[in-house]
Amino acid sequence: MIAEVGHLALCFALALSLILALFPLYGSYKGAAGPVLLARPAAVLLFLLTAVSFAALCYAFWINDFTVAYVANNSNSLLPWYYRLTAVWGSHEGSMLLWVLMLSGWTAAVALLSNSLPLILQGRILGVLGFVNVGFYAFVLLMSNPFERTLPFFPVDGRDLNPLLQDFGMIIHPPLLYMGYVGFAVSFAFAIAALLGGRFDANWARWARPWTLAAWLFLTLGIMLGSWWAYNELGWGGWWFWDPVENASLMPWLVGTALLHSLAVTEKRGTFKSWTVLLAIAAFSLSLLGAFLVRSGVLVSVHAFATDPSRGLFLLAFLLVVVGGSLLLYGLRMHAVRSQARYQLFSREVLLWGNNVFLLTATLVVFLGTLYPLFHKELGLGSISIGEPFFNSIFQYLAIPFALLLGLAPWVRWKQQQWQPLLKPLSLWLVGALVLAVGVLSMYQTPAANLALLGLLLGAWVTMATIGEIQQKAAQLGGIPGLFKLQASHWGMVLGHLGFAMLVVGIAMTKTFSVEKDVRMKIGDSVELNGYTFMLSEVYALNGPNYGGQAAELEVFQHGEKVTHLHAEKRFYPVTRAVMTEAAVHARLSRDLYVALGEELSGPSWALRVYVKPYVRWIWLGAILMALGGLVSLSDKRYRRKAAVKAETGAKAHA
Amino acid sequence: MRKALFYVPLAAFLALSLFLLSGLFSDPRDHGSALIEKPLPAFSLPDLQQPTRLVTAADLKGEVTLLNVWGLWCPTCNAELGFLTELRQQGVRIVGLYYVQPVDAAFGDTFDINTLRLDVQDKLAEQGDPYLLNIVDEKRSLIFDLGVTGAPETFLIDRNGVIRHHHVGDINPQNWPKIQQLYQQLQQGGSDAP
Repeated sequence: MIAEVGHLALCFALALSLILALFPLYGSYKGAAGPVLLARPAAVLLFLLTAVSFAALCYAFWINDFTVAYVANNSNSLLPWYYRLTAVWGSHEGSMLLWVLMLSGWTAAVALLSNSLPLILQGRILGVLGFVNVGFYAFVLLMSNPFERTLPFFPVDGRDLNPLLQDFGMIIHPPLLYMGYVGFAVSFAFAIAALLGGRFDANWARWARPWTLAAWLFLTLGIMLGSWWAYNELGWGGWWFWDPVENASLMPWLVGTALLHSLAVTEKRGTFKSWTVLLAIAAFSLSLLGAFLVRSGVLVSVHAFATDPSRGLFLLAFLLVVVGGSLLLYGLRMHAVRSQARYQLFSREVLLWGNNVFLLTATLVVFLGTLYPLFHKELGLGSISIGEPFFNSIFQYLAIPFALLLGLAPWVRWKQQQWQPLLKPLSLWLVGALVLAVGVLSMYQTPAANLALLGLLLGAWVTMATIGEIQQKAAQLGGIPGLFKLQASHWGMVLGHLGFAMLVVGIAMTKTFSVEKDVRMKIGDSVELNGYTFMLSEVYALNGPNYGGQAAELEVFQHGEKVTHLHAEKRFYPVTRAVMTEAAVHARLSRDLYVALGEELSGPSWALRVYVKPYVRWIWLGAILMALGGLVSLSDKRYRRKAAVKAETGAKAHA
Repeated sequence: MRKALFYVPLAAFLALSLFLLSGLFSDPRDHGSALIEKPLPAFSLPDLQQPTRLVTAADLKGEVTLLNVWGLWCPTCNAELGFLTELRQQGVRIVGLYYVQPVDAAFGDTFDINTLRLDVQDKLAEQGDPYLLNIVDEKRSLIFDLGVTGAPETFLIDRNGVIRHHHVGDINPQNWPKIQQLYQQLQQGGSDAP
């Protein structure tokens, strides 16, 4: 019964999303307030209905209702309760339900928080969001209904959740990622609303900015968690694989980052308008493209959901309508818009333009690397694959000019900057960066570590330039107390840039100095790696709720002193007949010790993979710092205060 | 001119959609290997049971053979052993190509074919032994020449030592019938096949 309630709620939600797509847009076209006023309650109700539907599916998992096909395929009565709940989004149908839950959540949030916007604009924004909602609700109901029953012949027990997904990281990775993907729908709706209305003033950018920031923040954390999860669960010590689906999440992130910077220019200087609108469309289009790539099976990936061409066809048709339609509108409307602002070659505008160029080049590289095998094959040229070396080498070269610009840009004024006053302070900070980078590297006594030196240099440069800029601001504002006058969004930028520096250092150091060793060990054997001695002290059988397997205990010593104790598992899940590695990780800021337990060999002895990975934490900490920067920016008062002022003037204009 | 520029994104997107559409109707896993219809690359590698004896491409000729790339370290390969053993009992000739994972001598790791033989014997005694013989590719040279991307992978080789099919992933009762068709064709085709 409860499952039918969920199904019914979803049907009502589709009907409501149709109302949301039609009435407010019609109202704002005709200039009638009535239909537009319908938007807000419709959006909120849409979210509530979806929440009911989602809760119904959670309930079916909670009580092990194996008459629901989706539950039977993705859960098992032995699964612990928290994994039974996260199994809700463990496969295609449920994850689509989570997707529409979030989409309606963003829609409701826009409805509730856009009080201060002119009514006509509200109607356009919510109408466009409603349109996007219609597509996804129809997709869930027609193509991937999670409430389908297996009656009358239902299984006694379920097929169990994919063991890869039975992990804490997996509990929150997809929701965060989807929040990011779907959040770009809001930026998209703002862009389309601006296109429909033909107004691209600074207000537009100021309204769109916090929403874009929020979506970007979720996406950053989602990608970070995915990487961290792969590191812990896959047992090969890697943290990024350039898998098509990882790439599909990286592309909207890169474009979203470009959009954040471009929005800043549009807000402050009223220029880059057509560019910003295109980026807003592109960020959401790439999210949709990602959904298509993952769910249609055109590319081979470890992440791909079961493939079904009719689903792919539906999503492609939807993609054509949404992306094709918005790009057509862009072509029709945008050529008439001219930017008024003038700026010199050496100005912040141009440096931010540089930021966009490099971020989009990176996006293009990921895009081509991901889709080139498809193009190649469909043109009849045979199968090829593009691997890590391609991406790594190009990203390495792109990072150099990008990081150099990134350190410089905050120092440079809008419109025009004389280079002479910057020369002295910047060269001092540059020397500081050189000393820092070489100093850190000299501790490793390897002169040939080019990549590490490059990464350290770039990271140190960005850090020093950012600190220097703060010091300069402090001098202008009258010492340290003056720093409190800086806007929150400025601090957000500082944190984001420092996070980027940390990420670059982490990647370069890990890539250069990681060491690994595949060994065969008996109880009592020890192996030495980078000054650490790993001693295998015990191996015993595991007895988990829905898995068996083996666990190994290791003691780690350095200079004769015990560093830590490691516990690595190799689990076997009998229902799905899958083997899973739970790596043992001892994390410190400067290095990770990582052990993965392999096969049992005769003897008895065991195959183990042992890694020492310097600075690998910095990659995720850097990403967290970037996300924190986004959060701090979001707290900036001006997004609220000025919106309120505008509301007043807007109301006056209406009166 | 400036006006046309604003339609470039639309044009690029439409071109992309065409590829996505045609991609929907082709199987991404079905990748033709560059080696299909080519003779097996030349090799000379030790037999696991008698390391002093060297197996060459000529030894595989004469009968239709499945060349199965596998390793003890690979769980899917181990899962596949049971079904492959059934196939052997039905008369299919299966030769193992043992994928030795890299060892780092600098760390004191060594590869020892005798230890490997004992480990393999234990495993096959437990799971079933589908192999006529096992070729040990310690340096992964043949594996590299064959363009193997992982294990298990299986090559179908005709009587003249020509590769006729490349299968990625395990062989199981679901996907065997498709390979079996080609296998039987090759067997019936006799020695006059190209």
